[in-house]
Amino acid sequence: MTVTRINVGPVHPSTHGVIRLVVDLEGDTIVNVEPHIGFLHRGVEKLAESRMYMQIPPYMEKLDYVAPMSYNEAYVATVETAMGIQVSERSQYIRVILLELQRIASHLLSLGTLCNDIGQTFTAFMWAFKDRDIVLDLLQEATGSRMFYVNMRLGGLREDLPADFSEHTLNTMDYLEKRIPEYVAYLEKNPIFTERMKGIGVITRDEAKQLGVTGPVLRASGVNYDVRRSNAYYVYSKLHFTPKSLQDGDNFSRYKVRILEIQESVRLVKSALKALPEGNAKGMQVKLRSPNPVNRISVVNRELPKGECMMYMVADPQKPYRLSIRSPSFINLAAINHMAKGERFADLFGILGTLDIIMGCVDR
Amino acid sequence: MTDNEIDTNSEEFMDSKKEMDKLVYESIKEKEVKPNAIFAKLSDLTRSMPVTKDVVNWARVNSMWPLQFGLACCAIELMDFGSSRIDAERKGYLLFRGTPRQCDVMIIAGWVTKSMVPEIKRLYEQMSKPRYVVAFGECATCGGPWWESYNIIKGIDEVLPVDVFVAGCPPRPENLFAALMKLQKKVGGNVEG
Repeated sequence: MTVTRINVGPVHPSTHGVIRLVVDLEGDTIVNVEPHIGFLHRGVEKLAESRMYMQIPPYMEKLDYVAPMSYNEAYVATVETAMGIQVSERSQYIRVILLELQRIASHLLSLGTLCNDIGQTFTAFMWAFKDRDIVLDLLQEATGSRMFYVNMRLGGLREDLPADFSEHTLNTMDYLEKRIPEYVAYLEKNPIFTERMKGIGVITRDEAKQLGVTGPVLRASGVNYDVRRSNAYYVYSKLHFTPKSLQDGDNFSRYKVRILEIQESVRLVKSALKALPEGNAKGMQVKLRSPNPVNRISVVNRELPKGECMMYMVADPQKPYRLSIRSPSFINLAAINHMAKGERFADLFGILGTLDIIMGCVDR
Repeated sequence: MTDNEIDTNSEEFMDSKKEMDKLVYESIKEKEVKPNAIFAKLSDLTRSMPVTKDVVNWARVNSMWPLQFGLACCAIELMDFGSSRIDAERKGYLLFRGTPRQCDVMIIAGWVTKSMVPEIKRLYEQMSKPRYVVAFGECATCGGPWWESYNIIKGIDEVLPVDVFVAGCPPRPENLFAALMKLQKKVGGNVEG
């Protein structure tokens, strides 16, 4: 049979962001997928070399604009490691609470857009965005901003939590605990959804390890690897965090791992709020001159909603000499050819949806 | 009699009506409908009628269909604009179309790289006239935080004619609502709060 070559994107309703996929088809079956990236490249790593240390967080937030705070925190933690600054215990707890709220928001968005892509049009999208807005309201209450927060400071945060935050968050978490089973019932009892998810886009355990994918994509393939446990930062070990993993490695398990992670994050937020100690949460004020770094090279890895991020920084006084970012989306995107080979063309967008890539993070 | 009303007894109107009737009658007689000829005549007719102009404008103002097209961070707020909290559908904005040929408004949501410029130009040229552009957010307005970057153009107005600029990084979804209402006013509608 002849091979047809089809171009998808760079502007296509189902590609989140701008990515171009060149797809070779044999009939309706995918033979090869070749992603072309770089439509959002803006040279963050190069720009960081010409900025002072605390001028960089706003740039870091725009890497993954669905979960901005996670990248911001990873960068600030790198600078803290370079300068040898300790984070107070209360700040650690608050950071964990905010990061987990951010993870819930990110996974809800991924769920909503995924359902949009595979033809589960609009009900789940509306639900997910409504619940995401509720979580964003909490973050807005804590940081004063809706999407880009820039609230991490060296050694702590810009502001302590407001007075009512704990009560509001507990109420919202109770609501989400009741709400998530509704999503599960609505989606998993629907034969259209399960038919398009189960057994589609399989990536085996060995393939996943060889490709270096991380995050929910890796955990859906049966590898129980999570930086929050393997390299437990902050207070994750105190909160008895357990990573969630499934065995099948198909679209369905990637979706299901995200649902389980939302539930785990809800539990983490609740227990962190209960154990929240008193103390000082304010970090250093932003000044143009920052303390001189004590470590020339610092490496920090963090579990972002999309996967494992690693930041490598070579520090000069006042400015980074080099900042290198291992972005999880970029490496997860490399798996798309392995997942999509042999599937139908229409399932390509389900696979793209469950991969949950953010193009700002891929292109940098 | 005001400008907006048509004098249906005028000679000009009667002539046009007669021509229309003749066209329709002929098509029935020859058992072959010629929709193109009829529509061409009809649009000639309506172009001279102030009332129909108003009707067309009313329809245009109240059905601003945006192109489903997002570039970066602001596109997330664009999605939120389409979701249940803002309920943009009550003003007729929310029929995000996948093809530019059906759209009226192009919302540039995000930074514009040099490699995206030809794509954006092509999409803009594919949209049917009249077409409007909203520059949503700092990056589309002036380059935003990337003004020193080697790969970002400093504002979409270097490439396309922009009707409304929206400030903010990113602007809230409500700002997009306000921007589209501003655009409606510009197009000629009498939009109420």
